[in-house]
Amino acid sequence: MAKAKGYSDENLSVRLADRYYRTEDASPDFLKNVEKIGMTIAHMCYQCGTCTGSCPSAPRSSYRIRKFVRRAVLGLENDALTDPDLWLCTTCYSCTDRCPRDIAPTDIIMAMRNLAFKREIVPRNFLNTVQFIYKTGHGVPNNDVNRAARVRLGLEAEPETTAKYAEFIPGIQKILDHYGLKDKADEILAEGQ
Amino acid sequence: MSGKTHQYAFFLGCIAPNRYPGIESAAIKTSRNLGIELLPLKGASCCPAPGAFGSIDLKVWYAMAARNLVLAEQMNTDIALICNGCYKSIWEVNHKLKHHDELRDDVNEVLKEIDMEFKGTINVRHLAEIYYDEKICGVAKLADSITTPLKGVKIAVHYGCHLLKPRKEREFEAEGVGDTENPMWMEELVAALGAEPVQYRNKMQCCGAGGGVRGYDIAHALDITNEKLINMSEVGADAITEVCPFCQLQFDRGQIEIGEKFGVEWAIPVLHYNELLGLAQGMSPQDLALDLHGISCEPFLNKLR
Repeated sequence: MAKAKGYSDENLSVRLADRYYRTEDASPDFLKNVEKIGMTIAHMCYQCGTCTGSCPSAPRSSYRIRKFVRRAVLGLENDALTDPDLWLCTTCYSCTDRCPRDIAPTDIIMAMRNLAFKREIVPRNFLNTVQFIYKTGHGVPNNDVNRAARVRLGLEAEPETTAKYAEFIPGIQKILDHYGLKDKADEILAEGQ
Repeated sequence: MSGKTHQYAFFLGCIAPNRYPGIESAAIKTSRNLGIELLPLKGASCCPAPGAFGSIDLKVWYAMAARNLVLAEQMNTDIALICNGCYKSIWEVNHKLKHHDELRDDVNEVLKEIDMEFKGTINVRHLAEIYYDEKICGVAKLADSITTPLKGVKIAVHYGCHLLKPRKEREFEAEGVGDTENPMWMEELVAALGAEPVQYRNKMQCCGAGGGVRGYDIAHALDITNEKLINMSEVGADAITEVCPFCQLQFDRGQIEIGEKFGVEWAIPVLHYNELLGLAQGMSPQDLALDLHGISCEPFLNKLR
């Protein structure tokens, strides 16, 4: 009669059923979270390095996308989220375009950045963008030089966006407040002062 | 050729209307000459910036982009836009929300707070890709609209990243647009203006600005830009063209910043495709506010005269 494959020692069966090698400081949930947020299949990576070979940031820094994918698979959360290289991905998607395993390494990086932000690890420029959008709706707001140029072109001084229709800004603020994003950005920026 | 006018809700983004308004003005006027009407999308915001916002919290990125999409849904009109970064946010979030029920439900729960609902009733397109689409415009019609051919100039095309990549997640209505390794359709759009498009090494490399890198580590971003400028200058480019105001900012302001930081002097004018099209349709440099560019366009304009 057919028998389920396994070992007579039940503890050994359990240990070997976990196909992913982990060290003691590894977090098994890290891979799960990265895959959920990034909507991609990091565990399919066979470390070919096509991603790093396609990366415009790799030749001019120690940033290695392949290494970050491995960290995801091994659950090395601290290593990944505290490495400043995490923020050197330009999100050009060349690695994602070329990955022979149909993984989206770029979205692995995006997911890791989201997880880093939850731990309040985030460069200041990202938070400044949040503040601009909360206030004006624009990441890059209008200014007087530009307003004058617009008028010279026959355009209105303010574009047909939240810049002209300020009544839309409270809606934007509600969305950002729903996620507590503005408060968190303010708080982290204030701490860094 | 049909005389039908195609209407789109014009999603402006941030950098075009707030830093290079000539792009906005040119897009409206040049498109009108091609039977494409760009209507105001009132109350739109930042797309929001996929690198900066997506890096912090993708859920907020989805919800904020969805709000912009709903504004166009309320007009019952497809969106046209002029920026690759906006394309990533607006096209991709539209696509994701149409295909992932769980994501859409999450977003709609937030949008309910501001009396909005994402329904998934419209499509999103980049204006450059609309121009290339034979069903709407096409290269021949584009060439027919030219009154002042851009003769005697070599132009390097920078495609940028987020319009085309990743290829497996993109769907284009226009035929011949999808290739990401060596696309040539923008070169066709440039040749239609009478200019000579030039090929250069590593054409598809990123400008360096995206993903928040310009704000995080400007020297790193500029080093990528500098490599592209070397490759473009090797083939004698008189100007760079792109379809992304953020890439434009990186190449235009970036050349000045490279001079300050690395001591390397560059002076290659950078023009959005709609600015080039404007010139070729007879708009003046004043009509395009080319004086707002960091790198003077004069040497390029002089070569045209």
